[in-house]
Amino acid sequence: MSSMVPYILYVLFASGGAAIYLAMPKPSGSQRQAALILGVSVIAGLMGLMSMHFVAPNSNNLFFYLFAGVAVLAAGRVVTHPEPTYSAVYFALVILSVAVLLVIQRAEFLAVALIIIYAGAILVTYAFVIMLAQQSGAVATNTQAREPMMAILVSFVIAGAIAGKIEQLDAVPVRLQGQAVTQATDVADTVATLDENDSRSGHTRAIGSLMFGPYLIVVELSGILLLIAMVGAIAISRKQVPIEDTGEPRLPVGQIGREAPPF
Amino acid sequence: MISDADIILIKEPKLSAADKLYLTQIAEGVKVTLNHLFFKPKITVEYPEEKRQLRVDNYRGVHRLNRDPDDRVACVACFMCETACPAHCIHIVADESPWDDREKYPEQFDIDELRCIYCGMCEEACPVDAIELTTEYDMVGHSRDEMIFDKEKLLSVYDQTKDVKPRKNPKISGYEGTGDRAKYDQLRQRLEEIVEKSSPDEANGGTSEGNKL
Amino acid sequence: MLSWLENQAVFSAVLSLLLIGGIMTSVAYCIYFERKISAWIQDRQGPNRVGFLGLFGNFHFWGLGQPLADGAKFLLKEDIIPSRVDKPLFILAPAISMVIALIGFVVIPWGGFYMLGDTLLSVQVANPDVGLLYVLGVGSMGVYGVVLGGWASNNKYSMYGAVRATAQMLSYEIPMGIAILIVVLACGELRLEEIVAGQVGGNGLWNIVLHPVAFLILLITLFAETNRAPFDLAEAEQELVGGFHTEYSAMKFAMFFLGEYVHMITGSAFICVLFLGGWELSFFGIGPAFPGTGIEDTGLISVLIKIGVLSVKVAFFIFLFMLVRWTLPRFRFDQLMRLAWKGLIPISLGLLILTVLGVYMGWQRSVIYNLGGEIAIVAATLGVVVLANKPVSGRQENMPALGQPLGG
Repeated sequence: MSSMVPYILYVLFASGGAAIYLAMPKPSGSQRQAALILGVSVIAGLMGLMSMHFVAPNSNNLFFYLFAGVAVLAAGRVVTHPEPTYSAVYFALVILSVAVLLVIQRAEFLAVALIIIYAGAILVTYAFVIMLAQQSGAVATNTQAREPMMAILVSFVIAGAIAGKIEQLDAVPVRLQGQAVTQATDVADTVATLDENDSRSGHTRAIGSLMFGPYLIVVELSGILLLIAMVGAIAISRKQVPIEDTGEPRLPVGQIGREAPPF
Repeated sequence: MISDADIILIKEPKLSAADKLYLTQIAEGVKVTLNHLFFKPKITVEYPEEKRQLRVDNYRGVHRLNRDPDDRVACVACFMCETACPAHCIHIVADESPWDDREKYPEQFDIDELRCIYCGMCEEACPVDAIELTTEYDMVGHSRDEMIFDKEKLLSVYDQTKDVKPRKNPKISGYEGTGDRAKYDQLRQRLEEIVEKSSPDEANGGTSEGNKL
Repeated sequence: MLSWLENQAVFSAVLSLLLIGGIMTSVAYCIYFERKISAWIQDRQGPNRVGFLGLFGNFHFWGLGQPLADGAKFLLKEDIIPSRVDKPLFILAPAISMVIALIGFVVIPWGGFYMLGDTLLSVQVANPDVGLLYVLGVGSMGVYGVVLGGWASNNKYSMYGAVRATAQMLSYEIPMGIAILIVVLACGELRLEEIVAGQVGGNGLWNIVLHPVAFLILLITLFAETNRAPFDLAEAEQELVGGFHTEYSAMKFAMFFLGEYVHMITGSAFICVLFLGGWELSFFGIGPAFPGTGIEDTGLISVLIKIGVLSVKVAFFIFLFMLVRWTLPRFRFDQLMRLAWKGLIPISLGLLILTVLGVYMGWQRSVIYNLGGEIAIVAATLGVVVLANKPVSGRQENMPALGQPLGG
């Protein structure tokens, strides 16, 4: 039975790809309803498979399934929505759902960092640019996907390749397995993460001591890389704007009007 | 187009180091507002409970119809006010006077207070000073009809305001109001004498015909 | 009787319900006091008519019924959705604005711990490991409501308002983050409850004594983040009609409006917790805490006193917000940007280096080191500004040399 799992996954992924393809904005119009039905059934199938084989059956997994479903659906909309602004908003939704999944895994620092960096900074800038660029409405050529077939094929082949190795997930540390999820979704724990005994030894502290201990050089290198990127961006984008010679040259200050003291 | 001659160049003020920190300037501003917040008296008043003294005595507010000392309506239904009114808000229905001392009296006397522009022309036009503007300004009503003041209402305004603002023409006050025609004529003559004496314009050849009764 | 409360999850749920009620009420009264204070500053009376349904005769309670009337008015007004707006986002934007302002409350420690029966409960809805970062994350999401509302309105004034708000929030988030980082470094702690505990009298001084400049920077950025005067460029009436909420009416407008005030209260509570000792009652942390308000005091009365103390501190900041709003004129946009990028960010970076050095050397609790360093940094910045001796606005500086054309 369990050896069948990769093949079921292949089928599911293929149907997911088909759903995305159907939902893509195309010149001939997209088959939204068919795509929705197919997509939801694929997600349901994935979740069913997961609950049978990977995640221990437990009513506390509700949060995981809920937010995972939201994340996948929203990600689908990011790709298929014809309006870039909506894509950006759906992307924010993906980020938030993934952050919730990380909180469920008790990786609070990662969750908050994800929100601050992606939802808070990058995405706002992105939305900003989209809105400024599209003030006179969307351009007709931009509302269609250019190569939907190829893009979907490539991404789902990669997903399928990962799925082929899914059985080896058992070898992955406990945290990725259902057990960890069930532990953390203990409602009392997520609503109020108040632990008397580990108030001074949180994940943030652990991450900090790791980042500035064994991985110090990597952190510093990536910092320098970002700095270089920033300097480069400024150097590229900032141009000397020449003063245009419009109109007649002005008379010297002494000859135009009169000078007055402040106030 | 602004010509160069119209341009005024304003030199920017030089700021001290403390000013460039902004905070000292903010403190200055906050000092002013705090002073107003806690110590300065309020300029506005709690209106309906507390009313401000009118700045002028001759404020033109709601109309009133004066009574003569006999408590009759002083109006003689001459239609001068209705004619003078630029807003056409006065409507008079005249009838034969039941009294000896005048020919007509107003059967009906309506003023549309919503239409009125409170210019005071009616007051100027009235030959017997029967219509006057009071200093009352807060009149309200629930409907437009309610704001058309009839004779009784206008007379009641007089009753309410006569203590605050007595009837303007004091010269008529000697009239006892008995309905006696002879006595009326006598008084009338006395009045005209007074008016002639007290009107210097006449001597100067001024045109004060309008001031006469 | 209260045994069902002896569980942090249940207690947190009850607390959050109480908080939402309390906060929405105080927001309504904030609006009333904003109007009153603006009136008093301008020598007017302010709202004074609405009492409580005339139940008390002609006595109007100084207009204290006004918030109720305002709320009823907002709910009953016609809710106009213009025909060419982007409807889903138009409806979503005020909700985002409100929700994001409200969820920031979750991590504010209102009154230390409460011993109920045998259980020690935290008077705080949640105490995540990343408390401070959570506040930053929620704050960084705050701009979505403004951006989406401005864009969805399909109105150029709204759009300009949204653009201004975004640029402003993105710029001021940097000095804000650094100022917060200074506290984190000095306290070595991200949990807000622990940060308060470190400032309780006897344990240590209030952070405002150690880091007055960081406090000022955080205060200024808070003004900017809440879009309050003098940083209210996003809704500059004289230029942009109403800014991003030009097209909004009735309750949708009210949600933006309430969101701003909720944000103000959250921000004030946050700054109190970081710099003014939160619920702590003593003189700047000098000397012992007021009897009955120490960390160990977990009785009901102690908790209530602590909540009261924090509320008074928050009220002071809200008063300050209002006072400044009715005192200062609005910044021009280039002034706004210069203040952030050329003023606050360099100073806060200097402070950050100072604090890092202090922590490394173990001097982070030394008043002399911190105060001296901060004064030196501000003096140095000021020195640079004075030595450069540039005019304030740079308007004439940017004019071409005499005889050159002005165009371009």
